[in-house]
Amino acid sequence: MFHTPKTKVRPATKMAELIDANPHLLLMLQHFNIDFRVNDLTVWQLCIRQGISENLFVSIANLYNGFDIRGPQPFTRGDLLLVIDFLKSSHDFYRREKYPQISNYIRQLQENHPVREMKLLEKFFKEYFDEVLEHLDYEDSTAFPYFITLLEGRENDRPGKRYSSKEYGDHHTDIELKLQDLKNLLLMHVDIEGDLELRRKLLFALYELEFDLYIHSLIEEKILIPSGQQIEKEVNV
Amino acid sequence: MYSPRLHIAIMEPSMIIFEGLQTIICHSSLDCRVSRVERLEELTEMMKHTPVEILIANPMQFVNLEKEVKKLRKSYPTLAIAGIDFGIIHRQSMLTDISFTLYDTPEHIIHSLTRLQEKSQHPEEEKEENNHLSPREIEVLTCLVSGMLNKEIADQLHISIHTVVRHRKNITLKTGIRSQSGLTIYAISKKIVSIEDIEL
Repeated sequence: MFHTPKTKVRPATKMAELIDANPHLLLMLQHFNIDFRVNDLTVWQLCIRQGISENLFVSIANLYNGFDIRGPQPFTRGDLLLVIDFLKSSHDFYRREKYPQISNYIRQLQENHPVREMKLLEKFFKEYFDEVLEHLDYEDSTAFPYFITLLEGRENDRPGKRYSSKEYGDHHTDIELKLQDLKNLLLMHVDIEGDLELRRKLLFALYELEFDLYIHSLIEEKILIPSGQQIEKEVNV
Repeated sequence: MYSPRLHIAIMEPSMIIFEGLQTIICHSSLDCRVSRVERLEELTEMMKHTPVEILIANPMQFVNLEKEVKKLRKSYPTLAIAGIDFGIIHRQSMLTDISFTLYDTPEHIIHSLTRLQEKSQHPEEEKEENNHLSPREIEVLTCLVSGMLNKEIADQLHISIHTVVRHRKNITLKTGIRSQSGLTIYAISKKIVSIEDIEL
């Protein structure tokens, strides 16, 4: 997967400089619903302006920059509610922007090269997209509402609930796998010549999607699931 | 995703020593990536999802953990361990394969690591340059894309399920494709099967 040079995000760093070093952070800002015109604000100032905890913002920005979250982080319930908004916003990005874009590129490519493999490739992508949609729908309709109830301390409203962070973790499937297949088919196997511009756009879109999906699952695994389990423990004591 | 075949983990609490070793390794001709681990448990955890070929460790980190180290070696027989010799442990530790001191030249250290790497290499890897599927793998692939289960493939080709699984692993390793539908597209583009054989 594509990796940017590592720059550790610190509260005193200027946001614009961080974006310059890793433009993927724009996507992070978008998922946080923060405008791109960051003036010359530092991370810390930006967090105050947006009412986002510095700890959460720095942790997620560091995931984008290739630094793992080590050990338990004291994320507050308010932080975790923001994390859910963040994840929902990335769902929106996949559904409304990224998948339609990729799907369009594949269709164009198929029209320009009406070979059998391309027909199958289009079908492959469609099936993959359906799987992803199912996963996103599951998170939106089951997992996130559960976490929101848990975080708002209303878990007693739903007696007999069976759901848990652990179950979510188990359900959490690897949706990046087929994406990798698609990339490898295009780079190594499917026999198409020319059309470099379209093929490059398609590959770039796949890389961008892959990177964001990767961060998405890191946020779920490293922040949401462990913190959810922690709160469940406290609630059950 | 490209990642070098050799993955070296360094378990050394001193940041200065870690950075120094990392610099020497990264500037050498070894095609590898380097990770830092703080404790043995962290290494065990890492190895569950990422293979590590060489561990460079400060042997002090193994004190009172001999059992755990042996267990780790048993689970990962190809893991090679290089110890950093601080002159404290006089005899070659049973737990390490080689050792070097901090005063050795970079060339000497790289040379020892290269030899260690050769030792730890899996025998199958020699064949890795060749990404063409073997005739047997092509047979397995053909069965796979026609929708047969492992058991059915084993019966048809008169081999064990275990062997089918091994062939499937190699097919994925060589093609970079893991899903069945992806392999179908692969098989068609390489003209291993014709599209008429596939139910659309």
